[in-house]
Amino acid sequence: MTRLVRAELLKATTTRLLLWLVLLILALVTLIVSLDAGQNAASDLASPGHQRDLVSSAAVSAVVALIFGIVASAGEYAHGTISHTFLVAPVRPRVIAAKVFAGMLAGLALALVAEIGAWVLAALWLSGKSVPSHLVSHDLLQLFLGTLLAAAIAAGIGVGLGALLRRQTGAIVIALIWLLVGEPLLAIGGVQPYAPGHAIAAVAVGAGHSSGELLGFGPATLLALGYAAVLALLGAWVVNRSDVT
Amino acid sequence: MSPPLEVRGLTKRYGDTTAVEDLTFAIAPGRITGFLGPNGAGKTTTLRILLGLVHASSGEALVAGSPYRKLQDPVRSVGAVLEASNYHPTRSGRNHLRVLAAAAGIPEARIDEVLEEVELTGAARRKVEAYSLGMRQRLSVAAALLGTPTLLVLDEPANGLDPEGIRWLRNFLRGFASRGGTVFISSHVLAEVAQLADEVVIIHRAKLVAHEPLEKLTARATGGALARSPQADRLRDELARQGIDATRAGLDGLRAQAPAARIGEIAAESEVVLHELRDEGASLEEVFLELTGGER
Repeated sequence: MTRLVRAELLKATTTRLLLWLVLLILALVTLIVSLDAGQNAASDLASPGHQRDLVSSAAVSAVVALIFGIVASAGEYAHGTISHTFLVAPVRPRVIAAKVFAGMLAGLALALVAEIGAWVLAALWLSGKSVPSHLVSHDLLQLFLGTLLAAAIAAGIGVGLGALLRRQTGAIVIALIWLLVGEPLLAIGGVQPYAPGHAIAAVAVGAGHSSGELLGFGPATLLALGYAAVLALLGAWVVNRSDVT
Repeated sequence: MSPPLEVRGLTKRYGDTTAVEDLTFAIAPGRITGFLGPNGAGKTTTLRILLGLVHASSGEALVAGSPYRKLQDPVRSVGAVLEASNYHPTRSGRNHLRVLAAAAGIPEARIDEVLEEVELTGAARRKVEAYSLGMRQRLSVAAALLGTPTLLVLDEPANGLDPEGIRWLRNFLRGFASRGGTVFISSHVLAEVAQLADEVVIIHRAKLVAHEPLEKLTARATGGALARSPQADRLRDELARQGIDATRAGLDGLRAQAPAARIGEIAAESEVVLHELRDEGASLEEVFLELTGGER
């Protein structure tokens, strides 16, 4: 199993994909933090809550980690490298398990980049506007840890979804449409907090931070892990049954 | 001991289409076996079932006596060369091999060995998208060799290769077999494997039509001879006396059911003048086409 995880990590680091995703994350974080900090007066930025919001832009890494997970599993079908993978490791559920594990590690790394980027940018804006910083606090530490966990789980969900659909572009489009259109529609039924995107968002905001629209950190983490596990199991089942032609 | 590759009653259906039907054969160790048939005959499906990539509808496909998926460390028993295009375009050839070696628990030092063996060391760090078809094919061979297997399975490896690439591949496979390796190589062109194979398995429309040593196929190919002689009628009588059937062909021609050498001996003994004498058996390719209904 360790071998397969190592191979998956090598796959991730021997193409340009991760580099592009890191650049995407940094661009998104820069955009979000700069729009927020640039438009607000120094007095508005002084509150610890607002400063926390600036740093919470790192949660965008969860969406990017989801895309990474999809590409890590469905991308192998797109390039046809899945044949090589299964020739070396013919027990396919083990391969999917390794992909989930490696994907989660990559998700952690992506979130870490986003957090460092968001924190440094927020600190620069605050010092530029001579606002006292509240960027070192227990609350922010929980936000950091929550976002790391959220991106890791999101990557796991992406691997499962990619394995289930085995179509890279299709899976990315479905995931994004779900997040942008599907989940907002669930508000009508009042079940929105239980949807995967909202569960991940609840994990990302970290422990000790409650919001009426989101589940608590504990239940949200369990639910998000449940989504990841169910998708990974379904994906492994479908991949195991399918022919690689 | 189990044969290196064996299929028993192998059948694969895709909906109403039968890709492989009740196929049974086993290949011998230490030999090169050609797996022939027109495009669409079911060769790739059979190979992919053998390699655990496609599920059989019924029957068994065994590698060293076991289904591929049950092999412990399969790449150490069998190396497979599938289509040449299965690469991530921006990964280098060497990194492609590193990924496979990591998954199989093979030390990185082996990567340099196989790159050397397929003469790809110089291009190893270039992205695969910059590789020619021949280089991709050699990369596939390198990947197949990583686990130092004793069996190589190749699916249409000569497709799209230039003559030099084909010669390289042929020499390489000869070398592999001469060191005791077993080779199972598919092709839709008999000529590609005729110079290489010890025996052939021929399938057509999902079914086995022949499994025999190449010499036997060659023997089928060499049959009659054509002679031209101003004394054609006399030659025909002399041949008849020796029990050889012959029919007139054209003004002075005679088509006989014996090799040219034998006709020549009889003509000399009976002092019949010959203007022309040549073997006229079907070529190997014609026998193949006959077995496979003339399809390519």
